[in-house]
Amino acid sequence: MKYLQYQWKSRLFYVLAISILVSMMLVSLEWTSWAEQINMQGFTHGDGEGKGKMPSILRYILPFVKELILIGVPMLLTLAVAKVIGRFSKRK
Amino acid sequence: MSDWKQNLQKTRYVMDALLLVSFMIVSAPQATGVPLHEWLSLLFIVPFAIHLLLHWDWITHSFKRLFSKISAKERFNTVWNYLLYLMMLLATVSGFLVSVALLPTLQIDINIQDFWSKVHHDSATLIMPMIGIHLALHWNWMVQLTRRMVSKKA
Repeated sequence: MKYLQYQWKSRLFYVLAISILVSMMLVSLEWTSWAEQINMQGFTHGDGEGKGKMPSILRYILPFVKELILIGVPMLLTLAVAKVIGRFSKRK
Repeated sequence: MSDWKQNLQKTRYVMDALLLVSFMIVSAPQATGVPLHEWLSLLFIVPFAIHLLLHWDWITHSFKRLFSKISAKERFNTVWNYLLYLMMLLATVSGFLVSVALLPTLQIDINIQDFWSKVHHDSATLIMPMIGIHLALHWNWMVQLTRRMVSKKA
């Protein structure tokens, strides 16, 4: 792991410091009118409806299938678009 | 494949694969249960930090390069990486702010707001297609490295 160990303390310090700083800025979103509006409206998701009927094995598999679709479909679409753009720019 | 630690590209490949697998496990609270999801999310900071450290050179040069003459693909890739980093931070921060297992175990009491529940849900969902596009932008590298990793000569 020589590449990871090279100056890792100073680099990690910068990464963490910047991440904490940006995170603190993101936390300040809760004082915006947008946050106030959502807090007033309320928010719920995944009340567990239909889970009782689902076979238990699917409860472990379906979340990963959902992830594969949510990652895989945009990936394939991007590859297709990149291919089209590549062909178009070659013709030029 | 055993020499992957001696080669930067192979180290990145192995660590990125681990990052993707750990991301997929962390992003499935319905499968792992919320308490494990929260503790694993805390651990996920390690492979994420490793990913950033292994791409240190890109991080230090990317911002400058953004204002120089570069291809549209590289410009898009740079902006996309910044957005992905912001979205990852937003998902992580909002996750801590809606914690029902991790923070109470650490004796940290927080008032969970609906706003952060929505932000966590939406950012965690949005980050998946963003990662899909991120992977597509590095597809050639992934294919090339997979070939090198499985071939005995490389």
